[in-house]
Amino acid sequence: MTWIIGVDVGGTFTDFCARNNTNGQTIIHKRPSTPHDPSLAILLGLKELKLKFVSDKKRIARLAHGTTVATNSLLQRKGGNLALITTKGFRDLIEIGRQVRPSIYDLQIDSPSPLIKRRNRLEIDERIDFEGNVIKNISSHGINNLEKKLKKLINIDGIAICLLFSFINPTHEIKLKKALSLRFPHLPISISSEVQPEFREFERFSTTAINAYLQPEVGKYMENLKKGITTNEPNLELNIFQSSGGLTTIERASDFPVRMALSGPAAGVVGASETALSSSFKDIITLDMGGTSTDVCLIQKGKAELANMRDISGFRIRLPMIDINTVGAGGGSIAHLGKDGLLKVGPVSAGAVPGPACYGLGGSKPTVSDANIVLGRLPENLVGGEMKLNKSKAYKAISPIARKLKLSVEETALGIIGIVNSNMTRAIRSVSVERGHDPRHFSLMPFGGAGGLHAIDIANELSIKNILIPNSPGILCAEGLILSNLQESFVKTCRTPIDSNLRSVQKAISELRIKAKNWFANEGKGKGNKSLLLFIDMRYVGQNYELSINVGNTLTKSNLPNKIVLKNLFFEAHKRSYGHFDPLAAIEIVNIRLRAISELDCRPSNISNNKKSPKPFKITQVWFDNKKAKSTKVFERSSLPSGFSLKGPAIIVQEDATTLLPPNCSLKVDKKLNLVLRT
Amino acid sequence: MNKRIDPISLEITWNSLKSVADECFITLMRSAFSTNIKERHDHSTAITDSKGKLIAQAENALPIHLASMGGLIQHILDEYIDNINEGDIFIANDPHVAGGTHLPDINMAMPVFNKGELIAFVANIVHHADVGGAAVGSMSGGLNEIYKEGLRIPLIRLYKKGEIVHDIFRFLLLNMRLSDERKGDINAQIAACRLGVSRINDLIKKHGVMYIQTVFNEILSRSKKRMQIAISRLPDGDYSFTDFMDDDGLNTKDIKIAVKIIKKGKTILFDFSETDSQVEGNFNLTFNATQSSVCYSLKALLDPELPNNSGIFDAINIEIPKGSFLNCLAPASVALRANTCQRVVDVVFGAFINVLPEKVTGAANGANTSAVFSGVNPLNGNRYVYLETLGGGMGGRYTKDGKDGVQVNITNTSNLPIEAIEMEYPLRVEEYSLVENSGGAGKHRGGLGIRRTIRPIGHKCEFSGVGERFRHSPWGVFGGKPGKPGKFYLKDKKGKITNLSSKSSGIYTTENHAIIMETPGAGGYGKPKDRKKEDVLEDKNSEKFSQNYIKKYY
Repeated sequence: MTWIIGVDVGGTFTDFCARNNTNGQTIIHKRPSTPHDPSLAILLGLKELKLKFVSDKKRIARLAHGTTVATNSLLQRKGGNLALITTKGFRDLIEIGRQVRPSIYDLQIDSPSPLIKRRNRLEIDERIDFEGNVIKNISSHGINNLEKKLKKLINIDGIAICLLFSFINPTHEIKLKKALSLRFPHLPISISSEVQPEFREFERFSTTAINAYLQPEVGKYMENLKKGITTNEPNLELNIFQSSGGLTTIERASDFPVRMALSGPAAGVVGASETALSSSFKDIITLDMGGTSTDVCLIQKGKAELANMRDISGFRIRLPMIDINTVGAGGGSIAHLGKDGLLKVGPVSAGAVPGPACYGLGGSKPTVSDANIVLGRLPENLVGGEMKLNKSKAYKAISPIARKLKLSVEETALGIIGIVNSNMTRAIRSVSVERGHDPRHFSLMPFGGAGGLHAIDIANELSIKNILIPNSPGILCAEGLILSNLQESFVKTCRTPIDSNLRSVQKAISELRIKAKNWFANEGKGKGNKSLLLFIDMRYVGQNYELSINVGNTLTKSNLPNKIVLKNLFFEAHKRSYGHFDPLAAIEIVNIRLRAISELDCRPSNISNNKKSPKPFKITQVWFDNKKAKSTKVFERSSLPSGFSLKGPAIIVQEDATTLLPPNCSLKVDKKLNLVLRT
Repeated sequence: MNKRIDPISLEITWNSLKSVADECFITLMRSAFSTNIKERHDHSTAITDSKGKLIAQAENALPIHLASMGGLIQHILDEYIDNINEGDIFIANDPHVAGGTHLPDINMAMPVFNKGELIAFVANIVHHADVGGAAVGSMSGGLNEIYKEGLRIPLIRLYKKGEIVHDIFRFLLLNMRLSDERKGDINAQIAACRLGVSRINDLIKKHGVMYIQTVFNEILSRSKKRMQIAISRLPDGDYSFTDFMDDDGLNTKDIKIAVKIIKKGKTILFDFSETDSQVEGNFNLTFNATQSSVCYSLKALLDPELPNNSGIFDAINIEIPKGSFLNCLAPASVALRANTCQRVVDVVFGAFINVLPEKVTGAANGANTSAVFSGVNPLNGNRYVYLETLGGGMGGRYTKDGKDGVQVNITNTSNLPIEAIEMEYPLRVEEYSLVENSGGAGKHRGGLGIRRTIRPIGHKCEFSGVGERFRHSPWGVFGGKPGKPGKFYLKDKKGKITNLSSKSSGIYTTENHAIIMETPGAGGYGKPKDRKKEDVLEDKNSEKFSQNYIKKYY
């Protein structure tokens, strides 16, 4: 018997999902994280988990890992002390960025200061033009000078090399990398033509600098993890989850840590889309509600879209990443009276410490969780009974605002919920409309601890009919990890008018295919299907943004579709994204992208259905409107068999999540034991 | 109508109204054709009540557009009051007769009716890349009357009772360059209007007309009150400040902008009577542009989170004689107004130096530095025009230094990637950097200006540039030193320098000369001697300041 394990390391908990790949048995496990060395919780958890296996051989075939190490290192600015080498005249480029400021009206808010100090940014006299011609060569004198300057810098632990037009002609970057790695063999070097060989210098430089910044810490972590795991499980295949939605090898993850910047939340989206597909839902909006924020992602036809650019705490990353949007509202968002006398919720959050008042950890400010507990919606026993919520502290926290508003505490709590829901609704609407979608055509999938408490109200506001609540909403990220495939992206900028001879495009595709084939041979060795998706970034001449268009699988043949097909695909995409297209305007190709996917095998989870008809384990009083509380049945989630249906009001509790079913709404447990709620 | 609404329902409905404005903003962005909207988001959307009071603006709407949309509706009510119909769409751009601030900003508005009663307007504004006139882009300097700046559109109807007026549309498009793109952008504005009207109708259906009207009134009175509370916290008194703009690019030098702020109780008056009269060059402001700049300044100083609506205007009085530089009369030209708006902000900040010492900053780069490069691309024989706007220093602040190389105050437009410029145009960018020693010394120093060096490749290139604060340096506060002024110049291959004026036009160069633009830095905050040792050390280590400069000031 072999097992596949997904491990998702979060700030508070490390979640495990283990699947027996012979019979589909699934075991979940949760343990506190060990933030000083996250690999510790993984190793301990694996031991604990193996005791739960109902097998004598207990062989673990592979482990898929989603990590926040890269994200945290960036957020807390704990990365390396770096040197940057760039083209003469441009050492400030990474500091000026796009010359904009993050807030128009607030004079105190700045973009974060650059990751690399100015004195550590060195210039080299060299230049390549827009066609890749060398205008100015790198001289050996220049390299020697650079070496001298680098030696003078104090305690450097990494180098980023970022030269103009290296995405067309990388020879200068490669030459510098070779020369410097001979002279500084102990320093990791990131070069922009390897990290992301794409046009637009600031985005490329910034991505490369972040990569170099993360390398020392992430590299160390990966090394520890690998060592720890191979000691116990020498044959285990260890893969790391990337922001793009696929797995990669630990070696590549150490070389390109910037690809892990959104590793955690992206895994949740894979878990969500697979769960939804198993229940035959193809178009869903995910709602991952945490303590301080909520992640929203649109999944269409079972696939989450990829975005090619994102800012993470003010730092720009240009890489394919699952298109997740973060809304500043969560269970810990604090309610307060604004300067206009109106009730506001967020954006300030009580976080995990001190947390909502009801946690009893010293928090005294009223939060969304406090409102939920006052209304009887959140049970007082949370997380498998380990943590008890304090209802009277929640009351106490909300009553000062209630007094000022001349409302009862319950009415105020209803107001807090109403406002946080309206904030989330506004954000979801913006995200959908911006991507050309009407939220009414989607189903809503809440996960995370509190998503199920707010889902019905939000769905109502968005005119969404169906809500799908996965079987284990709190462990979706870990589950997504075991369902993920190996994936690698390749890009080459190749700016060509579509009506010209496309030989250079064809050549670029061939080059990328060779790289992809190498990847399949050496790393992408999954046992399942392989695919190689070709994307062409196109735009109208004069536009400043491209549309990335999937033109099909190019695994076996490398032929570019003909121009008419390409144009039609572009028109279609332009219409979908911008509402119109012009059949006569000139179009150009900008980038060629390949996405190589090598599927790993993983059996679907076997469902052990409980046949007994469920009984509520208690009746509680819940406020749904400001008139009076209603008697509401509370069910254990695990007691609900497939095919069971229920009319609201009801509450469904499970270890890591709570679902609220208001009056006049209905619930049905489907074949996969997912809950389908209807408004 | 006077029924009170509870503060929870009000917050939720207000959120819905903002959401409508946001959705219009995104729809406009998505369906527009031009880069200016899609990438630079040079557009705004809003909802007003039936009297033209601005109720909600999109989250990402621009400060400079704040007063124009309300201004347009005021004109609709004045000129068309008995003749506003369901399905009408109004269009206008004229600063002198239709509430605009410069011609490229085309305003549009559509009324919302319920059972024959006028309830609201949905409005939007777009900076169009061209509206005709003497030069491409309708933004070139040196024009002395508005007729030369582009097509003047008075307040007219593009749609009457749901039917497009084709004659008008054709007439407009014929007068603009790149008419296909204009058509696409105008259609996007129409789509945004229609969406907004249908969303407001949904809200009316859900909540009833009375409720929505009460919400409008509550939003206005609460925002006004919020502003008044912030104002009443200021000490009573008169505060004045004066600054000078370099010139108007024609015949007027040292244009005086002077404000006297009279604050009493919860009222505040901005009296600009001592400001110079309107000038020939196109730097004049209409009243709406001045009002937007004053509101921006006050919001930034007192309450950055304050929602953008007419409640703010209602709390502020502004007095400017007609014919003033800041309240110009036809046919004054106005295209480069953004430079003047920046200076109005500096002057208002200046007046508050001693009143809000923790909030004011040293003077920022005080300009909307822009440059146009044009010529014939030797590679394909096509004519090209490349426009860019450059940031500069931000003033030193109470708690920290001013930011280096950034857009300030009234503007926040991004730069174009160097790799995009060189692929698109026969130009080579040789340097993009911060200007050494350009941030004024101080306890918290001013931000540095930006240097951009561009060389034309293989052809003759025409350069026009508009800069400000080339002579009148950005001042420091509380003993902070002034920032370095801006500068345009040519440099030949031997390093010989030829200075250019701050309003340069028709400068022809070849590959032998690089064009160098240096934007102004910004003023410092507090005395240099109070600067922390580690900060001075950082000035030195970062190589942002020379040894000599540090020795001189610290």
